[in-house]
Amino acid sequence: MAQLIELPRRAVETTARTASTAVTAPFRPFRPLLPDHSVDEWGRDDHLVRLLGPLARLRWDVSVGGLHHLPAKAGALLVTNERRWSYSPLYVSLALSRATGRPVRFVGRPDHAPFGAGLRRIGALLDDPTEVHGALRHGELVVMATSSTNHPRFAGSVDHELVGAAVTAHVAVIPVASMSSPFNRTARAEVGAPIRLRTKRRGPLAEIEIAEAAQRHLQRILDELGGMQTGMVAIDWLGEG
Amino acid sequence: MILVSGQRLLVSGMGGELGSLVASLLEQEPWVGSLCGIDVDPPRRRLRTAQFHRIEPSDRERIVDVVTTFDPHVLIHLAVWEPDARAGTAHAKQFTTDATTAILGAAAECPSLEGIVVRSGIEIYGRNRHSLTRPDESVAPDPTSEYGRMVERIETVAQSVAQRIGVAVGSLRLAPVLGPHVPSPLGRLLRQPVVPFSILADPPFAVVEDVDAARAFVAAAKLRLDQPINVVAPGAITGLQAIMRGKRVPLPLVGPEWYLARQLSHLGGAPIPEHVMEVLHRGRLADGTRAHDVLGLVPATSTPEVIDRLFRWESVVRITKPQMRAATIHGVA
Repeated sequence: MAQLIELPRRAVETTARTASTAVTAPFRPFRPLLPDHSVDEWGRDDHLVRLLGPLARLRWDVSVGGLHHLPAKAGALLVTNERRWSYSPLYVSLALSRATGRPVRFVGRPDHAPFGAGLRRIGALLDDPTEVHGALRHGELVVMATSSTNHPRFAGSVDHELVGAAVTAHVAVIPVASMSSPFNRTARAEVGAPIRLRTKRRGPLAEIEIAEAAQRHLQRILDELGGMQTGMVAIDWLGEG
Repeated sequence: MILVSGQRLLVSGMGGELGSLVASLLEQEPWVGSLCGIDVDPPRRRLRTAQFHRIEPSDRERIVDVVTTFDPHVLIHLAVWEPDARAGTAHAKQFTTDATTAILGAAAECPSLEGIVVRSGIEIYGRNRHSLTRPDESVAPDPTSEYGRMVERIETVAQSVAQRIGVAVGSLRLAPVLGPHVPSPLGRLLRQPVVPFSILADPPFAVVEDVDAARAFVAAAKLRLDQPINVVAPGAITGLQAIMRGKRVPLPLVGPEWYLARQLSHLGGAPIPEHVMEVLHRGRLADGTRAHDVLGLVPATSTPEVIDRLFRWESVVRITKPQMRAATIHGVA
């Protein structure tokens, strides 16, 4: 039979609580901006992502196509092209996350504060095949970029080591063509069909061939999307990216 | 696996909160025949059938004598001193090394021994630059704190014993363990009225409740675990979020002033050891899915819930004289 013990409150605790209330009172209006339960097991803060959404839309108004190619629950590695300084993995992940309602992560955060820590809160992962493999194995959608190019409609090469993470995690590799302009908000993210090799490989050739196929598929989608039409052919390329 | 009843289990570190919790769970298991415990402190729970031997970790001869006489089938090695939990870092390291050497060495002399389960921690993965956000058990240990190196050594010693005598060795890599009476430097720090956090990083971390950790040890002993397993509560939380949940005053720090904060916190009774600093600066997450696959264990309490409970525990429990008398009359010690 248990005994119920009336516990005395320590004066110091009450004082601390009063002090805490006094200190935090001025910040109370901002409290909804700082929820205390919004970080997932990879460090992504869904609340922060929602909060930054309107801010991101001030910069990128992304139209998304081909969503039916994305798996409903399973993980997938999404390969997107990147023009230098276009931050395409960032806007593609935010746009796809909004469109699918699933957290979409992206590869390429530096591992130092405050930038790395900040990027982790919006879903960034380290540029490490093991880290990507872990996320894919747990059914996450992960966006990785090709090597960046100077031309907006050229898809760069795809890192086959990161593709290898998808191969070993047995998830699809899906090309996502992205286009944006440095001068206006218009942006596009077109999801292509999952890459399938004609010849099934058992060894490391699989990732190399899938990486090459992903680059080809991306290039084809980019060609199909066409470029921006400014009316002045000579400077059209400036408006793309 | 078909278990023969009447198994002999030895729990080192039975006096601690986690050890006595594991012992009380083992007493309820039908396959456990006899239970023996060793620690420097007496058990913190009422144990009905377990034998307990109060031995200093440095008293190797007596440890060897007790262990070899008992001749266990399974050894659960929980005699691990987390720095600044019950002893300072230097003492914790010394006690842990002494206990590991004596107990694992003695266990190797037992002819009936079939399995060893050791307590380890996810601190073993370290938090170097570019270390994985959420390492799983396949990631090579690379500890970056004293506690991480301590648990790595325990695993190494246990593995070498296993190789020499051919028994199964499993290690449970626990996230920081929190519980109502668990001496934890992280828990103690978070319960301070003013709690420092890294404003530039504020990384996420995971913890595990003592009951879930104890259940993992029972399952591992039952299965004769022979691999490392992460035991981590689902979910994650950042330092600032934990402070806000506890309605404490957050103290944002950037860098050099951490030294001063550590000294002040030490004076306030909550020292911040290296591995807790790491939690606040670099975070501490781990992939705990293998615990479900191998042990069939899903921690019942999520990380935010463990943190909530941490703040609900009373700081001081005073039993006044009349209450003690009443307790004696009702048969409760």
